[in-house]
Amino acid sequence: MNAVRTAAVPLFLLALTLGMLALGQVLAPGLANSGNLLQLLKIASFLGLVALGQTLVMLVGGIDLSVAWVVTGSAVVFTALCAGLDANTAQAAAAAIAVGLVVGLVNGFGVVKLRISPIVMTLAMNNIMLGATLVYTGGTPSGGVSPALRALATGGVGGMPFMVIVWLLVGTLAIVAIRYSRWGRRLLAVGENATVSYLNGIANDRVVIGAYVICGTMASITGILFAAFSGSSFLGMGDQFVLPAIAAVVLGGTSMFGGRGGYGGTFAAVIFTTMLSTVLVIGNISAGVRSIIFGAAILAALIAQRLLTRGEDRD
Amino acid sequence: MSALRRILGNNWPVSVFLLLLLTLIVLKGRFNGFDMRALSVNSLPLVLIALAQFLIILTRGIDLSLGPIASVAASLMALHISDNAMLGIALPLFAGLGAGLFNGALIVGLRLPPIIVTLATMSIWQGVALVLLPDPGGSVPAGYQAIFMGSFSSPVIGLVTLVVWTALVTWLLSSRFGLSLRAIGSDELAAQMSGIRVRRTKITAYAVGGMLAAVSGMYLAVAMTSGSPVVGDGYILSSIAAVVIGGVPLVGGRGAPIAVVMGALILTITASLLYFAHVTSFYQSLINGLILLVVVGSPGGRDYAAGLVRR
Repeated sequence: MNAVRTAAVPLFLLALTLGMLALGQVLAPGLANSGNLLQLLKIASFLGLVALGQTLVMLVGGIDLSVAWVVTGSAVVFTALCAGLDANTAQAAAAAIAVGLVVGLVNGFGVVKLRISPIVMTLAMNNIMLGATLVYTGGTPSGGVSPALRALATGGVGGMPFMVIVWLLVGTLAIVAIRYSRWGRRLLAVGENATVSYLNGIANDRVVIGAYVICGTMASITGILFAAFSGSSFLGMGDQFVLPAIAAVVLGGTSMFGGRGGYGGTFAAVIFTTMLSTVLVIGNISAGVRSIIFGAAILAALIAQRLLTRGEDRD
Repeated sequence: MSALRRILGNNWPVSVFLLLLLTLIVLKGRFNGFDMRALSVNSLPLVLIALAQFLIILTRGIDLSLGPIASVAASLMALHISDNAMLGIALPLFAGLGAGLFNGALIVGLRLPPIIVTLATMSIWQGVALVLLPDPGGSVPAGYQAIFMGSFSSPVIGLVTLVVWTALVTWLLSSRFGLSLRAIGSDELAAQMSGIRVRRTKITAYAVGGMLAAVSGMYLAVAMTSGSPVVGDGYILSSIAAVVIGGVPLVGGRGAPIAVVMGALILTITASLLYFAHVTSFYQSLINGLILLVVVGSPGGRDYAAGLVRR
């Protein structure tokens, strides 16, 4: 019974995704072939990686709005230091990842030690990263992506994009770790009830800060890979990930109040939202109407989910 | 004195604002009617939308759709006011009211989390604004500027408008409705048990918030003498920032409208300060972020530092 409940949300989202796919197939016959679907998964993988970090933060009852400019800032640092050379790739990637790691650490410190509300803390950090990125680049990002990393972000093996392989591996690891590892249980315990988890000897502060650090790091990695995918870094490239990632986490059944959920639901929701936007683009629908339908679909999924899990929520 | 303190509530946002204003005056070497008009007109939209956000935050909610509601209102006004002044004013107001009611009904009726509901409606209103007005355009006769914001010959009107709106919201919060809002934010169950109509009050907060956001959008349209489908997007998060800088906790229940107005003025004036201090605008958001952190982090920071010393 419990397993059915755990799987209810992902299965529901999967059904919606298949519906979308059928609609897409009608609008553009041939959409539903394996090549296209893998391309779609490749595009979804970037959002999927950002949403992974967001899932962890939301599991401990937080939220991270700073990922927008952590993605952009890391991408900008990476291309500037890499300067298009394979030889520089490792150092540049390390420096770029350090950006997200430090921002995550500061976010976690502010939320836990200074008791700043997560929305405000990460909103302020987002502004700081935005300013820092503008100052660092002087308004125009420079440098370039190395051929090796570009191959990783755009290429594949035997038709299977590398990005999809990476996403599947990391995603599986996250699903298993959240559900079965000691770390995952601590994460859920802190989110469910911080007092009880503290009394059970869990170092709450460390668990929460850890979640923000992983979130920042995932945003940095996404920034690097997305720059590699796009061929360069550009200002504002991270903006498109923030709200869809939060929407995906919530649609995936992770509670906004923490303690409940996992990456499986997020994973399905990322595929659903990517499928939805793709179908809307294929349907040749104007940007305004697309935005309306996107919002309405999130609302509809939210309401349906509320009705599906009626009586289970604790608020 | 105690009456003054009660009105100011947490009075340091006022001091910070006055300090910044003084710095600005020193930097510019003047503060005449032109400067006063510029400051009041630049801050009016943010002040209104921050007050809207404040009403909602008081109930422990949050509204990410206020900015896009302002965009819709600005677009509707710019499309209609030249042909039909009544329609150009009434339509945006009703749109704002309707949008707020919609948010409130979903959040209260289905007990959905405010942040994700308004995230969805944010996308919806952004879309509606784009459908109404795909590109910036329409027109608002320049005459409205003189009436609502003052012209160069009557620079006080902008300031008066600012004061009137602040007074209105202060009055609203001292009413029975305001008391209910605070009670719900402090403890919803206790409020319910003391006979407050919690659901109705919360829906009203979102509805009034939507309407204030619409008024904010209308001011933007008047200031630009035209509409734009994205004009409100910049206010989605800065409205929250202004409320927080005004010393209002996001868990609701507490806060004074005047402090929120000061929060909005502080954000507006730092922009002009940087400009006149010849700091490149690149530093704008960096400094805004730091201000936000210093403001909200200082109480916790004091405790944390004290804890380190004790150890």
